[in-house]
Amino acid sequence: MSAAAVQTLDISPVGRVEGDLDVRVDVEDGVVINAWTQAELFRGFEVILRDKDPQAGLVVTPRACGICGASHLTCAAWALDTAWGTEVPRNAILARNLGQIVETIQSLPRHHYGLFMIDYTHKNYAKSQYYQEAVKRWAPFTGTNYELGVTISGRPVEIYALLGGQWPHSSYMVPGGVMCAPTLTDVTRAWSILEHFRRNWMEPVWYGCSLERYEEIQSYDDFLAWLDERPEHANSDLGLFWRMSQDIGLDKYGEGLGKYVSWGYMPHEDKYNKPTIEGRNAAVIMKSGVYDGKADTHKTMDQVFTREDIKHAWYDEPGGLHPFDRTTNPVQKNTVDPAGKYSWATAVRHDENGRLEAGPLSRQLIAGGTHGESWQYHSPLVLDMYRKMGGPSVLLRHFARMHEGAKLYREAERCLREFKLNDPWYIKPTEQDGRGWGAPRRPAARCATGSKSRAARSRTTRSLLPRPGMSALAPRTRRGARLRRR
Amino acid sequence: MANLLWLQGGACSGNTMSFLNAEEPSACDLVTDFGINVLWHPSLGVELGENLKRLLDAIVSGEVALDIFVFEGTVVNAPAGTGEWNRFCGRPMKDWVADLAKVATFTVAVGDCATWGGIPATAPNPSESEGLQFLKREHGGFLGKEYTSKAGLPVINIPGCPAHPDWITQIVVAVATGRGGDLTLDEFQRPKTFFTSFTQTGCTRNMHFAYKVSATEFGQRKGCLFYDLGCRGPMTHSPCNRILWNRVSSKTRAGMPCLGCTEPEFPFFDLEPGTLFKTQTVMGAPKDMPTGVDKAGYIKLTAAAKAASPAWAEEDLFVV
Repeated sequence: MSAAAVQTLDISPVGRVEGDLDVRVDVEDGVVINAWTQAELFRGFEVILRDKDPQAGLVVTPRACGICGASHLTCAAWALDTAWGTEVPRNAILARNLGQIVETIQSLPRHHYGLFMIDYTHKNYAKSQYYQEAVKRWAPFTGTNYELGVTISGRPVEIYALLGGQWPHSSYMVPGGVMCAPTLTDVTRAWSILEHFRRNWMEPVWYGCSLERYEEIQSYDDFLAWLDERPEHANSDLGLFWRMSQDIGLDKYGEGLGKYVSWGYMPHEDKYNKPTIEGRNAAVIMKSGVYDGKADTHKTMDQVFTREDIKHAWYDEPGGLHPFDRTTNPVQKNTVDPAGKYSWATAVRHDENGRLEAGPLSRQLIAGGTHGESWQYHSPLVLDMYRKMGGPSVLLRHFARMHEGAKLYREAERCLREFKLNDPWYIKPTEQDGRGWGAPRRPAARCATGSKSRAARSRTTRSLLPRPGMSALAPRTRRGARLRRR
Repeated sequence: MANLLWLQGGACSGNTMSFLNAEEPSACDLVTDFGINVLWHPSLGVELGENLKRLLDAIVSGEVALDIFVFEGTVVNAPAGTGEWNRFCGRPMKDWVADLAKVATFTVAVGDCATWGGIPATAPNPSESEGLQFLKREHGGFLGKEYTSKAGLPVINIPGCPAHPDWITQIVVAVATGRGGDLTLDEFQRPKTFFTSFTQTGCTRNMHFAYKVSATEFGQRKGCLFYDLGCRGPMTHSPCNRILWNRVSSKTRAGMPCLGCTEPEFPFFDLEPGTLFKTQTVMGAPKDMPTGVDKAGYIKLTAAAKAASPAWAEEDLFVV
């Protein structure tokens, strides 16, 4: 194919992304062969946090992203906990986890219907045998299940409000615990909200079966058998999503890098009461890891290997630093130069393994590994699909996101069972100097994020805040590795 | 039928997320029951790139009527007044805002960033951010003091970080049902119907405030958050305890001190060391008094409150 056949398109904006995103693509024969993603908004949160109160991060960082504020808040709180050497009571760990979980469960139908499935109603897919049904269910605002899904997505975060007063943008997680002290009625109401969500959307609309039946699916073969078992399964939103995705070829696109990372998340309530940076990997329910798809190997992820590449990002700083050592120094003139700097997002990489994909597919591929602690969450399904379907795809990436919901739902139930209402929720800590790495880069509702702070007594000397979506929307690295996606 | 366009500048999408929590009406009800035609929204819109540019150009030229222009996020002016640090659809977002505000029948600023600058405008305000018609308390902002939309109203400010979904939907419904003329705005252009009462109005800790029983640290089952933990409920205008959050609670009910996020100064004291979750005091009295109370009055009030305080007030009230 000659170079002349390549057409370059600048798309501004690409919608349905938090923060303004532009993309340049090279198209050859109707196929995207090259892409540059340009994050087009800089607010300077790290600059604002310099020399401020160490707890300012609890107010500011959740406001980096209104979609995944609980993830940022969790990070900010754990960063201060590790810096100050606090003791975090069991109830508080559960209450933080529950907040994070319900935010993520909220995002499932909201992202699925509001942001993702509306593309299936695009006229480009009119030839699909499922198109008419897709339009009926998923058309923006008026589709039957669009309306149901978007509206019910507000319910899980009512539980967040019971703990933190409101969602989004509470700061109820603080070093030493949480601000709230829930009562029995908060717990019973939370149960009924979870039940409502399950009985009105998860089971009848999404799965077309009970949660218990869905949880029996442990392999790709199990899944295919489930799909054919009853019309309710095949015609559920999950069933139709799966069948239409294959029909329109979404199992063929979205290859990515083939290497994956998860920082691990959800500290266990009895294993992280005296949090340290070093102790985190062995204390989280959802284990961390790096998965190399080609070699089919798993290992745990250690934050010391984190590097931020800024070769193509609009900062005047040395490249390849650990996030602790960055200063966030924006360039003044942010001209787009595809060969040079072209984005406000930095490119995070692993010092040994290079660029890694983060997000729900990565988390599930890592959950499929046998590495880590024996008690940590293990789920073989998505890894099995990955192996048998020939690697990643748009279909599998979105399936992985939704599949995580079942585990999170059960974990939310477990938090409610495990609260000991008369035990402490907060142990007042002493402020001290230190460097914190708070539950670094917990999976935010839709991407991977993280927070770290260096607190000198009574002030944050520096707080770095990788923007949400950074791993997903990052520009290239010095070595040119980039995400391939359509 | 009313055409609505929603754009985001220096934003986190929090107001959008809050808006999507709405019920009665829900976001979908606005479309199906109240005839709101959402021309485009950054999180929900189908169009991208050139197709969106064509739509925006048609709105600016007057070919497509813009009945309600909702803006979320700050207007970013950096670097050096160019706005290049926030580009959208091929040009600085601030240029789109300037053009669209001219043709809008109603212009609505949603959330603190769009009203007064919010978190991004906190010192040192690296993005040179401002709100549509205010920067903090200072009237003017990006559109200037004299700006009025085609309906003759200045920017309707719906502050909060985020704004409550009902505050947004009720204003949109008022406009869509022809009651825009009934809107009355306070000195900061906030709808009076929401922002005359205080955050404290309806707070479950009011008895503790009245008897000066303090929550001295987090996680307690009693006590007012004003005396020690820096709660701004008595001097913040919002209906947070009248129209509950996510239908179930509010920050102060859950035990989190009000940060005063519906007021132009938020975040207060620019987050300087020692100002978070701690009541700022001068000679033992709070630096910021409940609205309208002077220091002499406060001392009398609290002395009387302490003297009158019943024994039960010191015991746990919000028990398991």
